[in-house]
Amino acid sequence: MQILRETNLEALNLVKKMKPSQVLKILETKTLTGRGGGEFPTAKKIKTILNKKTKNKYVVCNADEGEPGTFKDKFILKNNPRTLIEGILIVSYLIKAKSAFIYLRKEYDYLRKDLEKQIQDILKKSESDINITIITGAGSYICGEETAILKSIMGYRPNPSYKPPYPSEKGLWDCPTIVNNVETLTCIPQAILYGDWDPEIRLFSISGEVKHPGLYEFQKAVKLNTILDIVKPELKLKAICFGSSGGILKIKDNLKLDEKTIKEKKCNIGTYGIIFISNKTKILDINLSLAKFYTFESCGKCTPCREGTLRLLNLLKKIRNRKATQGEIKEIKELSEHIQKTSLCGLGQSCTNHILTALENFKEEYYND
Amino acid sequence: MDNKILLNILNEIQDKEGYISEKNLKKISKENQIPISRIYSIISFHSFLKLRKQGRNIIELCGSPSCILNKSRELELFLQNYLKIKIGQTTKDKKFSVYKTSCIGCCDEAPAALINGIPYTKLSEKRLKKIIENLKNANPKRN
Repeated sequence: MQILRETNLEALNLVKKMKPSQVLKILETKTLTGRGGGEFPTAKKIKTILNKKTKNKYVVCNADEGEPGTFKDKFILKNNPRTLIEGILIVSYLIKAKSAFIYLRKEYDYLRKDLEKQIQDILKKSESDINITIITGAGSYICGEETAILKSIMGYRPNPSYKPPYPSEKGLWDCPTIVNNVETLTCIPQAILYGDWDPEIRLFSISGEVKHPGLYEFQKAVKLNTILDIVKPELKLKAICFGSSGGILKIKDNLKLDEKTIKEKKCNIGTYGIIFISNKTKILDINLSLAKFYTFESCGKCTPCREGTLRLLNLLKKIRNRKATQGEIKEIKELSEHIQKTSLCGLGQSCTNHILTALENFKEEYYND
Repeated sequence: MDNKILLNILNEIQDKEGYISEKNLKKISKENQIPISRIYSIISFHSFLKLRKQGRNIIELCGSPSCILNKSRELELFLQNYLKIKIGQTTKDKKFSVYKTSCIGCCDEAPAALINGIPYTKLSEKRLKKIIENLKNANPKRN
């Protein structure tokens, strides 16, 4: 697997012999983009902070992988933490940051001890004077959002903030801060060191009703049939659920899993977490599970998200119990769109995708169930 | 920045004592010069931080779609029947607390649960029963 290639501090040593602009040129040419679902060009992100003359700058590694159906960062933390740490050191070196943080979700706390050991070892071997602190989360999905993660690190309740200012302007303790996902930071040294590093290869977290779930590497625009040949469905499949926020799509032959095709179908491939759903499962059950998730994880700051997720859950329960009227099904659609349009952060804006796409793609299950 | 990270302080106490007592809340507030209200707002926000004493063993069953597609609902019912408590409660002998949790990142090995912070995957009723029985007889992990 490409993601498992180790760089053994060679990429960091190479970076130290180059100008920062040359390093960014490599990342730009290799078209490395943020792998936390945002796809923002990594070089561009680093560039915004590169020449800022402030007393402190910070690097934050976002290891708060909470998206249901996604487990790629856990795989990296477990199997290639050294390359990830090297990535953190490279970004810190480029922007001249003295402190970096790894925000590790509490659910992955069992990986912390080994990670600490690897950090100490790499800092010693690379003779770096950068401080890398692991912060353990405490079970909050919203901390994956970049302004929330910063608040959490600074010791505040992690409610997301308005952007701008972006973390690159005003981040931790008001200093420029770079927040990057685990996979992005691991790809940085790999992209710098290996000429054949391929940005089109993506990590797909595959789960659900298939015989061989797991983490796979595929080309970005892989055909669905290629994946199915490998993961082998248990029963006839009817839908793909792209994590909690990407929506639920009807399975069709020859479907291409590239961002554009998926977006045309009003879904979002996000972090490439794919949950396969078979004919025997009711889409409403998946909607209910996700609606419960969002009701629980909404931070409560914006009224549409705080109150709306709860009302949606109740309406979905009513449909599931066959007690909903046609008007209430219409209400679900209106409320979902309203939450999407009026919430502040990414959670609120995407938390009803699964309902809207299910209403469009599996209308019959809503009206006849 | 000079202060220790608040979340790490809270996690440390939570891991050691199983909850964050009022006494500790006041102590953290005083030592770090942070208002109690702010610390309280953080504890009440996070599902892994508790203000009340929990059972000696904590079972957190994953409720994400991948686990539900792999029969985690049946496990939920089994757990409640077997321990004679509901989700969110603690057994009378204070040995077990059971919760449902958001995705724990074990979707490819579903159904899964975090038991005392360690992931247990590909769970079945039989396996869960065995784990519970072993924990019942094990030495106390926390106070």
